[in-house]
Amino acid sequence: MYAHQGSILHVDLTEDKIWKEPLPEEWRKLYVGSRGINARLLWDYCKDPDITWDDPRNVIIYAPGAVTGTTAPASGRTSVTTVGCTTGLYLKSNMGGHWGAELKFAGYDHIVVHGEAERPSYIEINDDHVDIHEDTDLWGKDVLETDTYLKKKHGYDSKGLYIGPAGEKLVRGASIMGSCYHAAGRGGGAAVMGVKNLKAISVKGTKPIRVKDPKRFAEVAKEMRELLIEDSGAQGLHEHGTAGSMAGVNELHALPGKNWQTGHTENVYPITGQAVTEQGYLKRRVACFGCTIGCHRYSEIDEGPHAGIASGGPEYETLGALGNGPGLVDTEAVLILNEICNRLGLDTITAGTVVQWAIESYERGVLTKEDTDGLELGWGKLEETKEAIIKMAERDGSLGNLMGDGLKIATEQVGQESYKWAIMNSKGLEQSNVETRSAKAYALAFAVNPRGNDHLMTETFAEFGASPEAVEVIEKITGDKKYATPHSTEKRAEIVRWHEDCYEITEALGFCVFTSTAAFGVNPDNMARLYEAATGIEMDEETLMRTGRRVVTLEKAFNVTRGATRKHDDLPYRLMHEGAASGPLKGETNNPEELAKMLDRYYTLHEWDLKTSWPYRSTYEKLQLDDVADYLERFGRLPEE
Amino acid sequence: MSNVLLVDMEKCTGCKQCALACSLTKEDLFDPLRSRIKILKREKTAMSVQLLCEQCSGHPCTDACPEDALTRDEGTGIITVDADLCTGCGACAKVCPYHAIRLHPETEVPLICDLCGGDPYCVQHCVPEALMWVDETDERVKEKKKLRAARMAQYKSIIEES
Ligand code: SF4
Ligand code: SF4
Ligand code: SF4
Repeated sequence: MYAHQGSILHVDLTEDKIWKEPLPEEWRKLYVGSRGINARLLWDYCKDPDITWDDPRNVIIYAPGAVTGTTAPASGRTSVTTVGCTTGLYLKSNMGGHWGAELKFAGYDHIVVHGEAERPSYIEINDDHVDIHEDTDLWGKDVLETDTYLKKKHGYDSKGLYIGPAGEKLVRGASIMGSCYHAAGRGGGAAVMGVKNLKAISVKGTKPIRVKDPKRFAEVAKEMRELLIEDSGAQGLHEHGTAGSMAGVNELHALPGKNWQTGHTENVYPITGQAVTEQGYLKRRVACFGCTIGCHRYSEIDEGPHAGIASGGPEYETLGALGNGPGLVDTEAVLILNEICNRLGLDTITAGTVVQWAIESYERGVLTKEDTDGLELGWGKLEETKEAIIKMAERDGSLGNLMGDGLKIATEQVGQESYKWAIMNSKGLEQSNVETRSAKAYALAFAVNPRGNDHLMTETFAEFGASPEAVEVIEKITGDKKYATPHSTEKRAEIVRWHEDCYEITEALGFCVFTSTAAFGVNPDNMARLYEAATGIEMDEETLMRTGRRVVTLEKAFNVTRGATRKHDDLPYRLMHEGAASGPLKGETNNPEELAKMLDRYYTLHEWDLKTSWPYRSTYEKLQLDDVADYLERFGRLPEE
Repeated sequence: MSNVLLVDMEKCTGCKQCALACSLTKEDLFDPLRSRIKILKREKTAMSVQLLCEQCSGHPCTDACPEDALTRDEGTGIITVDADLCTGCGACAKVCPYHAIRLHPETEVPLICDLCGGDPYCVQHCVPEALMWVDETDERVKEKKKLRAARMAQYKSIIEES
């Protein structure tokens, strides 16, 4: 087979069974790859709503992209799909690094892990040879220790995907780590691995990847590469990493601080990407497999009491969530917390959002010293923050358990209206560091995101119109450049829906979404041409975007089985009801009326029912998802047309 | 005027574009194990080292070959492999001081960079400019050796650790 390797690997941990299935040709046309085919697999195995995240019948699926392993620039990413433990709904998390490409070279497009091992185990893949190893020694090891241990066993050149102690302890913000420092961080996929007693997947592969028309493929890949070389966004990402934009975001008063109570920070420099670079913490610029941008960092503290602390990152989100958020405007503080989270396998976004909620709760007297195990939590306190995060990762004490459960459960447990300052929406995922009160397409995108409110299912960065390429994208979608302004609520539904499709196909092919929705070198047109050259399957922009829509609709349907309705498409209470603290949009909220209007338009565009938010039968049928409609009909989950 | 390939480890992000490009141009497929440039990675410190034929003046590889399968162009230093003579014994790979040679996983013929006959395909793919194809001057040749020494030191430390 061309581009794909043509094989799905199944591993059943309960039955100790391993089998392979051919990748259906039909799926390559309808769902393309990675996130798309994962969504189909999850539907097929887990559509029954009785299958909760910790049910052995829940599967966790890992997949590199359709063109991963080739010179298509930045196409080495991997999607992980499962029933999420944070929300109980559909979860897709995507990671970089080199693990996914290795899996592809081992000959697999997808791995589906079923069941639950009796004791701590890991999966070893060496081309056709696949084994489940029981190994209790691995349990308790942090991510780096796990890496050392498994590389000793399976070779220096093996690639690993691991969970840390946080995943073992079923912390809901636990993160799956690949190539040591790359994370499929959001939504608690690591806890799903934890409950399956699955510590790691070690992979080694030697099988080449072929494309149908190498000459044409190389031409399109070159076109993409050259567009990315020219793109200012991509250049900035290489130079100062994702956090290169921190100062700019701060200027817009859109940098969340103190649990979203502030949007602007004086002297923000220490937590910018520039500070990491210029102060000598940056040791290397690092790329995921096949990536010509190289936005990832490796950084280290050389001197002082914290000398020797080193890790991958820190990323924008980490400098936001663990720096600006808890009031730690200090480079080294973030490097320290980042290192802990990476090592223990904890999502830095969730860790940051939860700790900020805990600090504010303590400040308000809603959490007492007894609840915090004696910790005097507060803003700008590194030691206390650090201890709270370690407790969270290890579910240590009452504070560790409370934080380890995430905001959704913690707010229910604590009560006292503590949801009012919990930065999550009704689905229950902790929000990433985007000020949605002043970016309205982001607001809508966050509200409708099937996995909870963050930017990693749809990124509408173009609405800022920060570059000519961004403005062009907005003009292409809406017909007018004037809509390239984040403050407008007009045309936001159109912008979000286009980006949903584009984001999905970007991931299905294996591209990093930075190439298509933050920088602008990869787009639906050149992706379609590339896919055709790679596979020989006829493809054009419109057909490819339709596969994106199909997957987005299937992901929506999955949540419909779990009873998600329009009510779940909201934003955090604070952002809907409290005004932004400063800046040009001081006092601005994501008020429910404004959101409702955008939602109406968004559901209308999708041809989904306005009341329930559910897709109609005809909507499914137009996307060749008839079987999905049939299933939902049995549950009474098809709205009347 | 001839050119020289500068290979800078410090600028290398470890993306493997070069290796994929090399396998594409030489083998018509994508496979880092079939490329003439190898990227050795230490994931823990996110370190990557490029390994490829340096067209060195000592060229012990040609002498080591019991079948006389390797010939060297005196002008460019480029090594050519005669696949018909080669038995895949791997003697050349063992003696290469720069750990540049790997045998083809199927044919076992050594994979040796030939600078693509003067237009290295990998260089076009190395966006961070860790690979640079530049005019040959004394200065550049010196720089090439310095960069190489740094890579070899790093290679050693990675291999020792593993
Ligand atoms: S293309 Fe350049 S940056 Fe990428 S691995 Fe090769 S030498 Fe390093
Ligand atoms: S293969 Fe090794 S020994 Fe032979 S010329 Fe190249 S660098 Fe020298
Ligand atoms: S110059 Fe040509 S043969 Fe040598 S590593 Fe680069 S692509 Fe391969």
